[in-house]
Amino acid sequence: MKGKHHVIVQNNKLRYEFDIRRNITIIRGDSATGKTTLIDLIQAASVMGDESGIFLQCDRPVRVLGAADWEIVLPQLHENIIFIDEENRFITSQTFADAVKNSDNYFVLITREDLPNLPYSVDEIYGIHTSGKYHDTKRVYNEMYRIYSSLTNVSTDMPDDLLIEDSNSGYEFFSAVVKDRSISCSSAHGKSNLRKSAEKISSDSLMVIGDGAAIGPEMNDLFQLMHIRPSIRCYFPESFEWLILRSGLINFPDIQKILAAPEEYIESSQYFSWERFFTDMLIQWSAGGYLQYQKSELNSNYLHPKEMKAILQQMPWWEEGNHTE
Amino acid sequence: MLNIIFGDAPNTVYHPPTYFDNTYEDSWLEQPLAKEMVQDIDKSEVVGPHLIESPVLGPVSPKELSGGVKTLLLMAFDDSGKIFNASACGDNCAQWIVNIGKEKNLTINLHHVMDFSHVEDFRAKILNTGKKVGNYQEYLKEIFRIKEN
Repeated sequence: MKGKHHVIVQNNKLRYEFDIRRNITIIRGDSATGKTTLIDLIQAASVMGDESGIFLQCDRPVRVLGAADWEIVLPQLHENIIFIDEENRFITSQTFADAVKNSDNYFVLITREDLPNLPYSVDEIYGIHTSGKYHDTKRVYNEMYRIYSSLTNVSTDMPDDLLIEDSNSGYEFFSAVVKDRSISCSSAHGKSNLRKSAEKISSDSLMVIGDGAAIGPEMNDLFQLMHIRPSIRCYFPESFEWLILRSGLINFPDIQKILAAPEEYIESSQYFSWERFFTDMLIQWSAGGYLQYQKSELNSNYLHPKEMKAILQQMPWWEEGNHTE
Repeated sequence: MLNIIFGDAPNTVYHPPTYFDNTYEDSWLEQPLAKEMVQDIDKSEVVGPHLIESPVLGPVSPKELSGGVKTLLLMAFDDSGKIFNASACGDNCAQWIVNIGKEKNLTINLHHVMDFSHVEDFRAKILNTGKKVGNYQEYLKEIFRIKEN
């Protein structure tokens, strides 16, 4: 499934309204914000339709999936938006992750578990909050808010240390950027090592950089670590390849339209997470040119001053005037 | 004393709200502690053991309390010996968990790193390793160590 899908669920007392735009969305947050009530409303509406008295509107079928028969039911569903409540332990299983990987459905999971088998985005972890009364002042209006930001502790001060999730092209790029500056750069060798690696760096000024498109499972641990190490900053763009594509160095038809609304172009059954799509795009459209890209080893042409500057300018925390020596 | 088991363990209830719906006693909701927790977390008033007044939903039964409050009520009043999964609770329940642990020997189960950073006087014993932690930093260090093994 592709696209952004607007969902409205309401009864006489509550109205929920939100957009779902990737294959995996997580809802968590404080107790008593209405997560289970949302599931109950969707369940009743999807089973009983109008007779439920619940108004459910979306351009795709919206339904709840339960534990008892999920492995039988899921293969029959296509282009559905599927909500799963927190009592369903199967969402932590590899079997479920495998099912999501090749699915043309979107999944909305209510859980506080990290779910390391699922590559969800930092941008798709939401809480629910009440934003007031809806129109007639009788109905409470609930909407989703992003719990984390792709850029935390915003500052243009130069960090003392960079910790890069990746050990390939992204790491090579950032190592080269800081080479002549008094900044150290290390690789975590994978997202699951980010928090552990950050703990080991005792610097008062550490910037952690990773692929936001799949960093979701690490966010709670990193966020908790930042409670005791508040000077840690994080920057999670979609991916390193996304930064390159945004830089204007590579041109191909509709690139700006694609980057403005990737969800309209990324088929969930083909791409488990968006960073793989951006990597494929970059490899495909840079092939044969002087900026031909491969993930395993960075083409040294990306390290020329003009190319490097174009990529760095995509990072909101980077201000060249502050960082040149 | 608050005891924490991180990860899977015997005798635990993964989804306490379902367990609550089928086991709670009316008398629990007559206790001042229950009324305070319902007021604080759900912003609702316990009118009686069968009636809760919610500002959003109106009059509801105890079965319509939030999953977090149901789990807190089990932690406070259930005497079955079951261990309840506190990952069914939001961080707004953390102070209540610690408070209950001061009144009784409470063992909880966690499947995520719960945020106790804002909780006053947080102390706990991590049963996976037997380590006693006296503040949030020690708790995090120990939980992260367990997650790595």
